[in-house]
Amino acid sequence: MTETTYPQLDETVFRETLPCGLPLAVVPRQGFSKKLCYLAVDFGSVHRDFTLEGKSCHVPAGTAHYLEHKLFDMPDDRDVSAEFAALGANVNAFTSYDMTAYYFSCTENFSQCLRLLTEFVFTPWFTRESVEKERGIIDQEIGMNLDSPDSVIFDRLMESMFREHPIRIPILGTRESIREITPEVLETCHRAFYTPANCFLCVVGDVKPEEVVTEVRQVLGDAPRPLGRKHPLPEEEMTCPTARTHCAMDIAMPTFCLGFKCAPVGLGEAAIRQEMAADLAAEALFGESSELYLRLYQDGLIDSSFGGGYDCADGCAMLLCSGDSEDAPAIRQALLRQAQTLVEQGIPEDYFLRMKRSALGRRIKALDSFDSTCFRLCAYHFAKFDYFLFPAVYRDIRQEEVLDFLARTVTPERCALSVIEPISQDPPIENMEAAL
Amino acid sequence: MFETIPLLPGVNLRCRRDTRFKHGCLSLHWVAAMHADTTAMNALIPSVLLRGTVPHPDLRAITARLDDLYGAAASPMSRRVGDYQASGLYLSFMDDRFALPGDRVLEGTVDFLAELLQSPLTEEAGFLPEYVQSEKKNLISTIQADRNDKRVYAMGRLLKILCREDSFGLPRLGEPEQVAAIAPDTLYRHFQQMLNAAPLEIFYVGSFESAAVADLLRGRLCLRGREAKLPPQTGFHGCPGEDVTETMEVTQGKLCMGFVTPITLKSELYPAMQVLNVLYGGGMTSKLFRNVREKLSLCYSVGSSYYSSKGILTVSAGIDFDKETPARREILGQLQLCREGAITQEELASAREALISSLRSVTDSAGSMESYGFIAALSGNTASPEEAIRAIRAVTLEQVVEAAKTVTLHSTYFLKGEPA
Repeated sequence: MTETTYPQLDETVFRETLPCGLPLAVVPRQGFSKKLCYLAVDFGSVHRDFTLEGKSCHVPAGTAHYLEHKLFDMPDDRDVSAEFAALGANVNAFTSYDMTAYYFSCTENFSQCLRLLTEFVFTPWFTRESVEKERGIIDQEIGMNLDSPDSVIFDRLMESMFREHPIRIPILGTRESIREITPEVLETCHRAFYTPANCFLCVVGDVKPEEVVTEVRQVLGDAPRPLGRKHPLPEEEMTCPTARTHCAMDIAMPTFCLGFKCAPVGLGEAAIRQEMAADLAAEALFGESSELYLRLYQDGLIDSSFGGGYDCADGCAMLLCSGDSEDAPAIRQALLRQAQTLVEQGIPEDYFLRMKRSALGRRIKALDSFDSTCFRLCAYHFAKFDYFLFPAVYRDIRQEEVLDFLARTVTPERCALSVIEPISQDPPIENMEAAL
Repeated sequence: MFETIPLLPGVNLRCRRDTRFKHGCLSLHWVAAMHADTTAMNALIPSVLLRGTVPHPDLRAITARLDDLYGAAASPMSRRVGDYQASGLYLSFMDDRFALPGDRVLEGTVDFLAELLQSPLTEEAGFLPEYVQSEKKNLISTIQADRNDKRVYAMGRLLKILCREDSFGLPRLGEPEQVAAIAPDTLYRHFQQMLNAAPLEIFYVGSFESAAVADLLRGRLCLRGREAKLPPQTGFHGCPGEDVTETMEVTQGKLCMGFVTPITLKSELYPAMQVLNVLYGGGMTSKLFRNVREKLSLCYSVGSSYYSSKGILTVSAGIDFDKETPARREILGQLQLCREGAITQEELASAREALISSLRSVTDSAGSMESYGFIAALSGNTASPEEAIRAIRAVTLEQVVEAAKTVTLHSTYFLKGEPA
């Protein structure tokens, strides 16, 4: 194993790539009870077209998430959750646009849990009956999202911002698309992407790094497996097909989500640098320390629900902000104007340094969270960057990069706005507004 | 697990030195009995304090101060522990060892806390009206936002019905109408009353010695001693049960069922009740999840919660509108199985392990230690995580059955869609 120390962060990471191709990292945390292990797969809801064994495949929207649910099935009616529970561990999983991750946390029986995780993730077992039954459960989950303003507003924004990129369809798919998912579809995706070389295993906790290698190697063996080849995701023009979308729901306050489309970032340090520059740009433009935030807050256009930042997924990136507001178009206008002002006038150097110091401090604080650390190490592994090198990246970022990002991104043609209005205002609420 | 240092009569500092973390936390709360007249004010004050001080008069200046402290965060707090409401501020900050030479983050954070409490912006013996106004609006939005999450909304409705006679029925942040009626001068007077006369609880978790933290606080917080007494915590105040159904434009129905039990955190059977809650409805291996969701596909989400200070057990399920009857039957059926002792050794062991595991993890984060210590100090259940683990380990199947037999259905709430 290679051991790397990061004195600035008081961290050490042990890394290894197993003969079967699985890369792994262990972050020892002495004196902690909790041990957290992520097994992440470089496969998410946007990866719907690929070539496997010479054959081109296209899978229905929602397949990655469906697969995540069904991977918990095991032969002989084994109940994976119950087996983890019997070991005193919690197991769970999530699917994002470009990643699926399975994870457990435990305080004891770490080796057994690790073996169990590796075993079930690499054991496809999809019976027709259980795949059929899952449809009802996922249908309910989709129904729940349709009732959730946060999901609805975001999904509608993605649909407005992107013409072809599959991020325009929700991670769960639709009630229609999930009907097309069969055991064969799940098997194909498992074969294509659930190969050790396409995964990353990350452990944070008081464990012996060598033990992780030994246990996982015993389960997976040493033979590498073939990997499906993802088709390139559609390249998008830097404009939004729909500038505004709105709908009504049973909510208390009108709420909005605003997005500016950014060029996709690719991989490696340059990509992370853009991400961190974009975070600083978001802070300078509308963060709590910005002039604009104060103005909008004092004018009552935004409230404490307002926030945002930079977000990216495979093949796409965006600057987002959201919150409750009676006048979202006015916020959009103010952002566009303020970006221009910043680009023209620059950011005072002391303010810029303070922002960097704050961003750095917040990232260091976040390292205390096992979940956040594990998640970031996985996500940045797939982005081909060693996350623990972030302090040096921050140090190097110059103001011009931040302003350049704002100049390119915060423009009318790159902007889309998604709004949800309340269906009806109950009379007591109106009276109360009057009383305020 | 915490060292208690009485800074002054009625003002306790509780410290836990721990050098494993990259950040520390410091919280200060005033504690009062939950009361309809003051809940909203207590919930509002912390947000108003965070709007501006004399040296840092607006949000931008406040944020700049926090940014200088390496991205420290200050959050307004309003917590419920049994019959008590605790309100105040929670600060989390990077550990000093990562700061540039000469920078002292904890010291700066304590200074800032003192400034927030002692130098708020005022006008004519009240908080700045502009800030009170906009924070009132924020708080009302926060309260009303419960409606956006139908699960939270439905559970809030159930608790109001179930706890008509209990402090638990008072919403933690007050009612929108109560918030709307608050005036800046009344609010300021109430704040002064709380800061100077209510019991204060200060918690610190981080790398500093407790004596050093106490010195810092003594030197910077100008507080006086107080003769403050809180009424003792009480059990559930009963009322007749009700079954309520309401409609809203939703895709999925929410069924909430409220049960009561005489077992509270002070009871001998408390550990058994915790085990029962987990094996009945706590997580993916519970009876409710495996049967009502997995086996019968009656719902997407289902789970139970146990409010130990009052002896209330609730079940919440996301279901199709037409599944109310079978879901209700199955939820009650699974409880009946617990009462009859139809519990496997695996279920019992899993539930015990889950609880033990989460208790072991308490000391893994500064925030969870603060939270555990805080609830322990206010609820009167002062068992350390180690003691609680021993108690859970000793729980037998018979005790779980005995606990289940005390649980009775009290009220239900069903939220469904508008008729087409």
